[in-house]
Amino acid sequence: MNLAYKDIKHTLGKFLITAMGVGMLLGVVLIMIGVYRGMIYDAKVLVNDINPDLWVVQEDKMGPFAESSKIHRDLKNYLKSVEGVDKTAAYTFQTIEFPLKTKFTKAMIVGYDVFGEITPINPKRLIKGRNINKSHYEIVVTDKMRYKIGDKIKLLNDIYTVVGITHGTVDSGGNPIVYMSLSDANKIQFNYTNPRIRNDRARGIKANRDSDLVNTIVVKLKKGYLSDLVAKNIKKEFNKNVFTQKDELFFLSRHVIEKSSKQIGSFTVILIIVSTIIIGLIIYTMTLEKMKEIAIMKLIGIPNSKIVNMILQETVVLGVLAFISGNIFSHLIYNKFPKRVLLDLNDAEILFVIVLVASILSSLIGIYKVIKVNPQEAIGG
Amino acid sequence: MDNSIKVENLVKIFGKGETKVEVINGANFEVKKGELVALIAPSGAGKTTLLMMIGCVETPTSGKIYLGDEKVYDNKWLIKDTTKIRRDKIGFIFQAPNLVPFLNVIENVTLLSVTKGISKENANKKAMELFTYFDIAEKANFMPSELSGGQQQRVAIARALATEPEIILADEPTAALDKTRSIDVVKMLKKIAVEQNVAVIMVTHDEDMLPLCDRILQIKDKKVINKKIDKII
Repeated sequence: MNLAYKDIKHTLGKFLITAMGVGMLLGVVLIMIGVYRGMIYDAKVLVNDINPDLWVVQEDKMGPFAESSKIHRDLKNYLKSVEGVDKTAAYTFQTIEFPLKTKFTKAMIVGYDVFGEITPINPKRLIKGRNINKSHYEIVVTDKMRYKIGDKIKLLNDIYTVVGITHGTVDSGGNPIVYMSLSDANKIQFNYTNPRIRNDRARGIKANRDSDLVNTIVVKLKKGYLSDLVAKNIKKEFNKNVFTQKDELFFLSRHVIEKSSKQIGSFTVILIIVSTIIIGLIIYTMTLEKMKEIAIMKLIGIPNSKIVNMILQETVVLGVLAFISGNIFSHLIYNKFPKRVLLDLNDAEILFVIVLVASILSSLIGIYKVIKVNPQEAIGG
Repeated sequence: MDNSIKVENLVKIFGKGETKVEVINGANFEVKKGELVALIAPSGAGKTTLLMMIGCVETPTSGKIYLGDEKVYDNKWLIKDTTKIRRDKIGFIFQAPNLVPFLNVIENVTLLSVTKGISKENANKKAMELFTYFDIAEKANFMPSELSGGQQQRVAIARALATEPEIILADEPTAALDKTRSIDVVKMLKKIAVEQNVAVIMVTHDEDMLPLCDRILQIKDKKVINKKIDKII
């Protein structure tokens, strides 16, 4: 006779609701871990999509994402002369208030040479339309902006046509990425009003002098060349800072999103601890609620081992059901969040082990009470 | 050995120093197989405490207790596995039926038998015999909450008898029942004592039940005195 089965069956509704409640708590923990994972993933989307071997930036700068960097656009041509360099491309990155249908959103404009050798648009992410193939007034947006192919978008004084739609393209802050030609991006960045141009002229500043500047030149190497070695040569020859792809990914996770990811990470750890305590209390209370029945069983001669088995089995069943409902809950709601939530099977497995161990440990407190209970007192003798 | 229960110089003191309360001081008595003995005393005199000491639930302060041919307590020494003693030798009946609410009637009665290693088939057969005896056979698959108080108490008695114990300790088994049902229950206990050769001690406050018993043990001035039924009545 399995006492755990009989007890669960007797209070099935209550047991399932408890398991679902605990499950929702675990679901929230899984979502928080997913937010943390999503933040780290998002931070690397753009860098991974461009995926060069080297990032050439302004001397003494950590750019283009950790610090601002300005270098000349034509440097990409000179870099070709360095041994081992195969392809180069100039990029600009700027954050603007981008118009949606009814409101504005912060978006990152990625300006690139549309006829160049390294495209930032990952073909796997391009879900509709095509790449930009004109040097002006074409734009690729993300699906979250809710534009359709052929939609016209006014930016400053120009009208841009949506030619492609990507999915899952965001910058390190979770803002959607908009792709356009380098010249269009520079125009948006350095488009001055007439009074400003007149003012600049009066000061002896040449108009649009900055439009020849970009934030970075990315480099792809020929096969067989080591990134570190070529980076050293470029640094020496052109007096620029050069980072490998690995460096850039490291900067992003350590410098750009470090604080926010640590914050989310710390919050997640606290949430796991609080959830564990709550689960422990629920299981402890469940055991105490049965203390009278347990006392009766002890009094009539049921051995402690059978009672302990019942509590442990119920704890494991509750843990498993809570874990399943937590996973279902998190999978139902994860795509409702504005930023990416990355649910990872490994995280779920680790959380399952933590929950199970915590549940069993907390049930041990209840079990201790059960072993120590005086049956006479418990039944009110 | 005819004696199922033998108690020698049993003492129970609760607390220490100024808070010390002496409940039983030198109880000596025996209960034979086939006897139904009533245990009477005013409230708080130590009836339940005495019953629980015999049932190895409460540890005495000193004295000796024998259950059947086994010594279970001897001046500070208590047999190690008290749960096994209860499982093997004693059937408990309480004032309230105290059935396990998540088990149905037959499961309540067979739980201990199955735990003792008796096959489910044999345990069920024995339980059904008892249910027939107690006229509750048709309730075998009911949950305790679906039975009346009297039916629940009969199930509790069946549970106490299911493992064929040598001793039955009944703590006011009729307290929650009306007069007719109370008489039925006590008659039933007497019948069981005789037919199954079991020693039964029954705590009661109800003087009407006393004529149905063989003997009376009365706790008076912390001692246990043997009384004849007519004297008490």
